[in-house]
Amino acid sequence: MFGTVNNYLSGVLHAAQDYDGEALGTHLSLRDVHVQNHNLYIAQPEKLVDRFLKPPLDEVVSAHLKVLYHLAQEPPGYMEAYTQQAAACGAVVRLLQQLKDENWCLPLMYRVCLDLRYLAQACEKHCRGFTPGHVLEKAADCMMACFRVCAADGRASEEDTKRLGMMNLVNQLFKIYFRINKLHLCKPLIRAIDNCVFKDSFPLPEQITYKYFVGRRAMFDSNYQAAVQDLSYAFSNCPDRFASNKRLILIYLVPVKMLLGYLPRKSLLQRYDLLLFHDLALALKAGNVNRFDEIVRDQELVLIRSGIYLLVEKLKFIVYRNLFKKVFAIRQTHQLDMGDFLSALQFVGLADVSLDETHCIVANLIYEGKIKGYISHAHNKLVVSKQNPFPSIST
Amino acid sequence: MAQVRGSCESFCPDGEAKMRVREKLLNYFELKNGQKNTPGVLVKEFTRSAADAKMPLPKEMRTEAALTKTVEYLLKDIILDTRKPYNLAYDFIFDRLRAVRREMVIQMYDARQKIRLLGPIVMFLAYSRYRLCEESIEKFDPKICNQHLQECVTGVLCSYDELDGQESSKESTIRELERRCFIECLYQVFNLGSPESLMRALTLPDYVRQDPMFKLCFGICLAFQQGNLYRVLMGFPQLPHILCAVAATKLQGIRRSLLKVFTHAYNNKQLTVPVPYLLRLLLIDSPAGLQDQCRHYNIALTVDRKAVHFNKTDFNDDAELLKPQQERFVESKLKRIYLPEVLLLKKLN
Repeated sequence: MFGTVNNYLSGVLHAAQDYDGEALGTHLSLRDVHVQNHNLYIAQPEKLVDRFLKPPLDEVVSAHLKVLYHLAQEPPGYMEAYTQQAAACGAVVRLLQQLKDENWCLPLMYRVCLDLRYLAQACEKHCRGFTPGHVLEKAADCMMACFRVCAADGRASEEDTKRLGMMNLVNQLFKIYFRINKLHLCKPLIRAIDNCVFKDSFPLPEQITYKYFVGRRAMFDSNYQAAVQDLSYAFSNCPDRFASNKRLILIYLVPVKMLLGYLPRKSLLQRYDLLLFHDLALALKAGNVNRFDEIVRDQELVLIRSGIYLLVEKLKFIVYRNLFKKVFAIRQTHQLDMGDFLSALQFVGLADVSLDETHCIVANLIYEGKIKGYISHAHNKLVVSKQNPFPSIST
Repeated sequence: MAQVRGSCESFCPDGEAKMRVREKLLNYFELKNGQKNTPGVLVKEFTRSAADAKMPLPKEMRTEAALTKTVEYLLKDIILDTRKPYNLAYDFIFDRLRAVRREMVIQMYDARQKIRLLGPIVMFLAYSRYRLCEESIEKFDPKICNQHLQECVTGVLCSYDELDGQESSKESTIRELERRCFIECLYQVFNLGSPESLMRALTLPDYVRQDPMFKLCFGICLAFQQGNLYRVLMGFPQLPHILCAVAATKLQGIRRSLLKVFTHAYNNKQLTVPVPYLLRLLLIDSPAGLQDQCRHYNIALTVDRKAVHFNKTDFNDDAELLKPQQERFVESKLKRIYLPEVLLLKKLN
């Protein structure tokens, strides 16, 4: 591709003259074929580049060529490449500021920010000598600079405003913040999108990613209704050909729905290779606390890595509820002995549970509205309501 | 930026010592035998970085050895000094340790150095948070103490993360690993049930996650997150000294939550719940303690005061949380330790 540097640079120049943001983005992408062209690996390209391009675009391109140079070294200089990419990002910010009332260069910004994140991830993986997450955090700072320029572009008309670039950047920032476990930083971004007048005119793929992350965050804040809404939107709008993305969404959607009382269909789980949830659902349905704990213990790493460990642990009280409902079904009376609940817990294999704890668990279920009734401590009995003593969780 | 290194080998640089003696700006703990105007051992004061202040000279800052000695002096000699109430010793130590932290930042210490100095500061703040929890706001501000504790403990954790990122981290001694586990536990208990701390717990290196004490702490945090307050309360007394003290500062909130749950569960006009059962579950050691709680949240006792009437509509939701108090099960643990040893993380069990 391009052959000589001069060809490459004139290609960049044409793209800029034609206001072709997409082409410009491709010319500066690290995933384009031109990165295999050895003629472009230049340690000090400034003079060459200056002959073709005006600032600040020349800085973007110079930095890009330096990135290629550092990545071509043996072993690859990820840290140096990252630093150059950050410089490119800074130059893009200046370019954006310069181009008032124009937004054709947004694709360039997307590309540079995306590569910045990839390089930061590579640094985290291959380089040592800094706090984990540090480089990613720095990368997020660079992207925030872009974001601020975009968000502040309020005067341009709807077609030309750089605010259309906000969601893409927000999604990139989400990816970083989720990776480095700094979810509190998402809040101002979400607010910025919510307050955006044309929040519905962002492209659908970006909306899907956005809803996926916003849903996960809501889940993290124990805001389950909102989480289901956002994740369902993402799942139903994500085209079927992106099966792995749909699977990712389901990993969060399924347990949140379980928490709200909806069990997943086996066929769905089978299709996305998520039968783990089927096992959990069976244990949950049976009220088998011990089996439930066992699955969580066995699958601990999987659950932790996908970030749903804590959520799944929260299902535990539903398991208790289902177990106690079975006690009620067997006894067929509205005055249930607390000892029976203790026996049930011991029957499913909990060894270290006491009558005191049984009282506390039942008390909690009553408090949460999962059982209707009251406990008589003197008689050691749970008196349940004549009507619907175990209301369905999903209502 | 060039790294600055202190060269002062004493607790307090000469310049400041002379100035403070001259201007009679000595703290009670800096006077010889408490006599007026006779200087004893001076320790460098905390001063804010300000725009007009010059960058401190090397002789105005202490070496790492001197900083370590300063921390040891404060947490051994001063903390055991009983001539004045503890809140005054706390104010003095707090300020002087803050100066230590500031020098640590200016000299840009690396992860290992930070851990060595910050660890004892975390322990001191955690201990003081509990020890002074009953004081009035004029004598002790729990909010500021919490803030500094959070800042210091996250500082230590970040340093540990940094070490994890370096290959040399495998060279840690058993004592160092023990210390890390203890600080990680302290962070968990101090941030009981917060999503961030739980997430951290799940991604820690294996040797921390397998540590029995850490498992206990994490079990408590998880139980809290699930709403199983019984497990939380039964776990607390099993924690060692300082962790137990930190847990005690969370106790009033948990008691309130459990009482609220009970007002719904045992909600009945005729029925009562016996006092001994509640004392056991709420970790309260005297009926008088339970009566205080009941009065505060508007829960009725029977005439003979041997049982409690729970009524969910009477529960006073607006009542502020009761202040944390010194708890007997913590006191008995703290009595058995030699405080400086524990605060300086020399002996943890």
